[in-house]
Amino acid sequence: MASPLQQFEIETIVPIQIGGFDLSFTNSSLWMLIAVGLTYWLLIYGTRQHALVPNRLQACVELAYEFVANIVRDNAGKEGLRYFPLIFTLFLFIFMGNMLGMLPLPFGFTFTSHIIVTFTLAMGVFIGVTVLGFALHGAHFLHFFVPQGAPKVMLPLLVPIEILSYCVRPISLSVRLFVNMMAGHTMMKVFAGFIVSLFSFYAIPAIAPLAVSVALTGFEFAVAFLQAYIFTVLTCIYLHDAIHMH
Amino acid sequence: MPRLFLSLLATTSAVLLPILVMAAEPGSSTLPQLDSRTYPSQIFWLIVSFGLLYYLLKTKAIPRIADILETRQDRINADLDRAARLRAEAEAALKEHDRIIAQAQAEAQRRLREAQDRLAADLARHQAQLDAELARKLHDAEARITAAKRAALAEITGAAVELAQAATKRLAGIEVGVEEARAAVLRVAGKGGS
Repeated sequence: MASPLQQFEIETIVPIQIGGFDLSFTNSSLWMLIAVGLTYWLLIYGTRQHALVPNRLQACVELAYEFVANIVRDNAGKEGLRYFPLIFTLFLFIFMGNMLGMLPLPFGFTFTSHIIVTFTLAMGVFIGVTVLGFALHGAHFLHFFVPQGAPKVMLPLLVPIEILSYCVRPISLSVRLFVNMMAGHTMMKVFAGFIVSLFSFYAIPAIAPLAVSVALTGFEFAVAFLQAYIFTVLTCIYLHDAIHMH
Repeated sequence: MPRLFLSLLATTSAVLLPILVMAAEPGSSTLPQLDSRTYPSQIFWLIVSFGLLYYLLKTKAIPRIADILETRQDRINADLDRAARLRAEAEAALKEHDRIIAQAQAEAQRRLREAQDRLAADLARHQAQLDAELARKLHDAEARITAAKRAALAEITGAAVELAQAATKRLAGIEVGVEEARAAVLRVAGKGGS
């Protein structure tokens, strides 16, 4: 039987070598493009009628739009709405990646279960937010690392802690998403494996891992949404820090 | 507190992750996520697809959805505006109605008061006339009674004088003059009372 980790294997579909780099088109790349295509198609197809009273799909599209818009407004303020397209893209991309990973296909793949993918996204957010902070506030943005109202003697200790906690943001952001997706999918695979191995001996005991598997599947759908949501909310909070400081 | 916990978690990850990555010699790892040979391809395709999605959403999907929402909001706002305008009109009409009613009531009250005043004046005038008439009639009647009384008294005195003359002549055989008899009668009448 295949290892539960086999589902995370990157398989090259079209080998591409550019400048000594292996930029092959892989199953990961394929699912990213599927996520992009499906997201775009759903948004455009859902709104094709421009209905004043939306049908179901259009209601979903509007719901997603307003959902993310509210996250941005609540966490980053009105000024944050300038960056709404980016946050919306981020949410939909991660959400779609997580959800597509739930498809029970033999060639199924969850690109958000790879640390390098989530880390690149988180680094993008981190660098973008930091650059924005300095662009908006100049050197004054460094005051962000000085906690307000703290005793002066504590500052030599507090400032490095603040800087460290700021710098580990991309790591916590990316590890949270990647670990959740990977652990969940591994668990599902492990319990699905139990069903098969138990069933080959006795049919009845296999019901237990089946029940766990069903529960885990539902749980994973919740996690898939929740992690996309958390990533988005945290991005907005970081954006808020950059725009307003404190 | 959650912030502290988050920092702690993040710090731990920050320490652990490089170790994990270093431990993962290219190709030797059993965890596909740590196989750094796949990183360039994943990063490249991530940037390509994310960029593509961003471009598509920013230029096509978001304006479209925003347009739909805005149209709806405009429609709702227009409807609300119209409702507010109609409401204002209705309120103005109600106010006008109230004003007219109040005016009519005031007018009715004024006329009622006028009529009442006129009636009261008429009544007073008639009362006065009647009183005057009654007083006049009473006065006349009193005058008549007094005259009659006086005439009757005169007649009684005359009769008493004649009676006295006749009685004196018959009883005493003395002829008494009228004047003497009258004086005697009047003297007795005055003594006897009224």
